[in-house]
Amino acid sequence: MLTQFEQYAVTSMMGAGDTPPRANGTLCFASEWERSAFGVALALARDGHFEWEDFRRNLIAAIGDWERAQTPHTPDWNYYEQWLAALEATMLQHGLTTPEELAARTGAAA
Amino acid sequence: MSDRFQYPNDREARSAARAKALEALLIEKGIINATTVDTVLKVFETRMGPFNGAKIVARAWVDPAFKQRLVADTPAAIAELTDLPEGMAGAEGEHMRAVANGEGVHNLIICTLCSCYPWPVLGLPPYWYKDPTFRSRAAREPRAVLKEFGLDVPTATEVKVWDSSAQIRWFVIPERPAGTEGMSEAELAALVTPESMMGVAVANAA
Repeated sequence: MLTQFEQYAVTSMMGAGDTPPRANGTLCFASEWERSAFGVALALARDGHFEWEDFRRNLIAAIGDWERAQTPHTPDWNYYEQWLAALEATMLQHGLTTPEELAARTGAAA
Repeated sequence: MSDRFQYPNDREARSAARAKALEALLIEKGIINATTVDTVLKVFETRMGPFNGAKIVARAWVDPAFKQRLVADTPAAIAELTDLPEGMAGAEGEHMRAVANGEGVHNLIICTLCSCYPWPVLGLPPYWYKDPTFRSRAAREPRAVLKEFGLDVPTATEVKVWDSSAQIRWFVIPERPAGTEGMSEAELAALVTPESMMGVAVANAA
């Protein structure tokens, strides 16, 4: 019945804790990087670089970490920050990049 | 400027840089290409979404014969429209059925599973749609639920509730708003919200 991977991927998250922000029947992106992170994760799973469920597990874990870390000083919630953390983790787990490569790119410590 | 105000901007800039770095790395390695992200998003932004349903409804408003065919055989009527994305009447859309609001009748659609939501026409379901409380209350006391959505259905109007399933996915043709006689189909389509096609709202006023 489901013919499009994109549709399957988003439908699988509906009603669960990792469901993406949306309004008026469409996805909501606050900025271009959120859109990129979303598109990259779906494309990698669609093309078989990892299972969608592997990514979702990391996303749910990232959301859980954020929730457990709640203090009065916890920064405002941003769904796509968790998404990006999950994407990095999944890419590292599946050898699509290395901590060194990432560090070299972003200038951050690995 | 204090750190308090500085912090979110730093976060935003850091996330943007990280996302950009990941995409650039993957493009360099040939795992994805420069148009991959746009291709994925195109599915959500142009192929499947409430804008398709809005076009169908706007056509039904300007063409009563089309509206009749849409209710009688929804996939066949949708297939007549040439400005919709490929596959709209097939695949996920093949079991779609339209119900029309009108004099004395208001329709409301609900469904147990989000996989039963008519995505190609309505887009992504809202948060509350899969809520078991919403679903059971909508089936039991639709008038009260509609009232909470700000929709006061007159007592003389019958409220019909349609439960989508794997077999049939329903959507509502809302009533054409008053004062829209001179509007084009495109202008009319802009008045059709996903909520109005679920029956929890009426189409926007002109």
